[in-house]
Amino acid sequence: MRVQLKRKVSASGSNIRGALAAAAAGLLAGSNARADESPTTLVDSALLVYHENNRVQAIEPEISVSEKIDDDSTFTLGFVADSLTGATPLGAVPSTLPQTYVRPLKIVALGTPVTVTTASGGSTVVIVPPPTGAQFQVLGASKTVPANTYPLDHGFYDRRLAGHIGWDQALTQSLKLNAGVAYSKEHDYRSESAHLGLSQDFNAHNTTISAAVNYESDLSFPLGGTPTPLTVMSAQWKGPDTTLHEVDAVAGITQVMSRRWLTTLSYSYSNAHGYQTDPYKIISAVDPISGQPVTQLYESRPTMRRKQSVFWDNKVHLNTDIVALSLRGFKDDWGIKSVTADLRYRWQIDRDFYLEPHVRYYRQGAADFFHYYLVSGAALPQFASADTRLAEFHALTYGFKVGMPLDEGSELNVRIEYYDQHGNGSPSYAIGQLRQQNLFPDLKAFTVLFGYSFAF
Amino acid sequence: MASPCAVLVDTPDKTVGERVGQIVKLEAMRIEAKFSRYRPSVVTSINENAGKPIEVDEETADLIDYAVTCHRLSGGLFDITSGALRRVWKFDGDKRLPTHARVRDVLRVIGWHRVSWNRPTLKLAAGMEIDFGGIGKEYAVDRALTMAKDFSPAPILVNFGGDLRVSGPRQDKSAWHVAIEDVERAGAAGGMLELSSGALATSGDTYRYVMGSGVRYGHVLNPKTGWPVADAPRSVTVHAATCSEAGLLAKLALLRGAEAEEFLKAETVRAWCIR
Repeated sequence: MRVQLKRKVSASGSNIRGALAAAAAGLLAGSNARADESPTTLVDSALLVYHENNRVQAIEPEISVSEKIDDDSTFTLGFVADSLTGATPLGAVPSTLPQTYVRPLKIVALGTPVTVTTASGGSTVVIVPPPTGAQFQVLGASKTVPANTYPLDHGFYDRRLAGHIGWDQALTQSLKLNAGVAYSKEHDYRSESAHLGLSQDFNAHNTTISAAVNYESDLSFPLGGTPTPLTVMSAQWKGPDTTLHEVDAVAGITQVMSRRWLTTLSYSYSNAHGYQTDPYKIISAVDPISGQPVTQLYESRPTMRRKQSVFWDNKVHLNTDIVALSLRGFKDDWGIKSVTADLRYRWQIDRDFYLEPHVRYYRQGAADFFHYYLVSGAALPQFASADTRLAEFHALTYGFKVGMPLDEGSELNVRIEYYDQHGNGSPSYAIGQLRQQNLFPDLKAFTVLFGYSFAF
Repeated sequence: MASPCAVLVDTPDKTVGERVGQIVKLEAMRIEAKFSRYRPSVVTSINENAGKPIEVDEETADLIDYAVTCHRLSGGLFDITSGALRRVWKFDGDKRLPTHARVRDVLRVIGWHRVSWNRPTLKLAAGMEIDFGGIGKEYAVDRALTMAKDFSPAPILVNFGGDLRVSGPRQDKSAWHVAIEDVERAGAAGGMLELSSGALATSGDTYRYVMGSGVRYGHVLNPKTGWPVADAPRSVTVHAATCSEAGLLAKLALLRGAEAEEFLKAETVRAWCIR
């Protein structure tokens, strides 16, 4: 039944309506004059607490402010501070005998008196004999790992500060530009990047095509210098700083499939050229019969890496709840292939209060040059790494997020997640004593992320 | 406000939609918090200080001035001190009517004539209470829409539980389609209106009433008698330039009971009554 409101005309009548209109006008005009500023500034802050079982702990506060300049443009500024401590795998294999590792710690002037002390993570400070004619000498850190223990570097720490600036601009009703720069600094690494992107709407804004390009330039200056790949581990001061340049491009299409279903498909390509080895990681060369480590060598990775990935994301809006499912396929020219499946369900319990369970599955194949160990005496390969992040493994992440409204339109949320990673710790081809060792201990990590956002 | 609140923005730009939503939501929450009867607010502060003079801020003073004008224009039928009647009338579909004695007792603490208002100082007599429930929601709609309009020229519709206002017609110049709730069945549509400008407000008894001797007593109470208005329409929907005006006219019509339609006609108000 459709009813058009009709004006009822009458000759007589008091004029309550007129007086009321005037009174309402007065009320609302007065309120306009003291109107508060419409909120144009959105602040997002978060604190991440990350804890691996017996390994790395990290705490990371982050803040991002987004300011709407006018109808067409938004300016964003963000900062992140990262603090990681704990222990990280060295890359060496465990042994039935204790093992000692040395790494360079500090350069001091020749002849400086040194008291043997304990460096971070239980290492002992040792004096390294300087090369002939050197004007300095090196202090090294020496660490002994007990028998049958997976070797970890307990002196691991990192402090990182990063910032980014972004700009979003609508060029026309349907064409938008986004650009930004970012900078990140740690005690042994610096990264600078810039990106530019465009997106265009079609079909009455039901279809969006977007493309973006990112350029990154990194400088690595590890503590102790950059080691020559596949040379023997020592406390000698190593080589100079190295650089890495990377270009990433992504193109995607977002389509409104129905009133309830939004889908995005995108393809990314990335080309990295430069130093990509981990200067702190080593790989063991073991005896071909007993499997005992003979020497420890610095690892080596290629200087070129091309990556490609395809990403498919879906959001389905049920009555008040939302389901999000995404899939990603990845492959690169290091031989790594991986798939990721991610599922979230946002259960809108109340007006703003929500509970969002989440599960994510990840499976990866090993890089061509990944080896649990090298065999002493055999010819050295060109590239080799024992970093388990390049190995074959699968991981399951599960957890939930809870969002709660506070006063004045702000929201507090908490995300709690558990990460469970499994790799093959007992490859069938392991030799000698390595058969009884766990070459890839499981990694479990617990994450709590507190988020607080508000607008003014 | 105890009602579902929504804002519709006719724009292709998701960011504009989100921002407008944020503006409207913040303003609704601000007004609800400021004039709430249930949490520490300006209103609870005034009511707790009944019997003593209290100074109020600009916005509250403006609302009181407006309420005074409405009181005068309605011949005393609209009265923001009438909330005390809630103490004896519980509209939950139940069959119990209050006794005449109880109603007489509560009438002793009702009536704007017992209030001393000398802007910015307000003094209620002891035991009295005020509430802006009769004008607060419509005021919030008007405020929220004005702030949203200041932010974006996109066509916007603000709807707080059925009291709504539009900034203008939609992008393609067509009217907004608004469904009117069926008075018998909450949640079902009883009709459809086309709206290109101004505001709509509805007053009625769909949710709150009490049955006594087979008679359905609506929740609109006459503050002079303390009893529900007899023969009030089940629902009155009014169209006016602002939501505040529309809301007040709808309530005034209801308060006229059997004369609701005549009142609306005499005032040349665009309205729709359901009996």
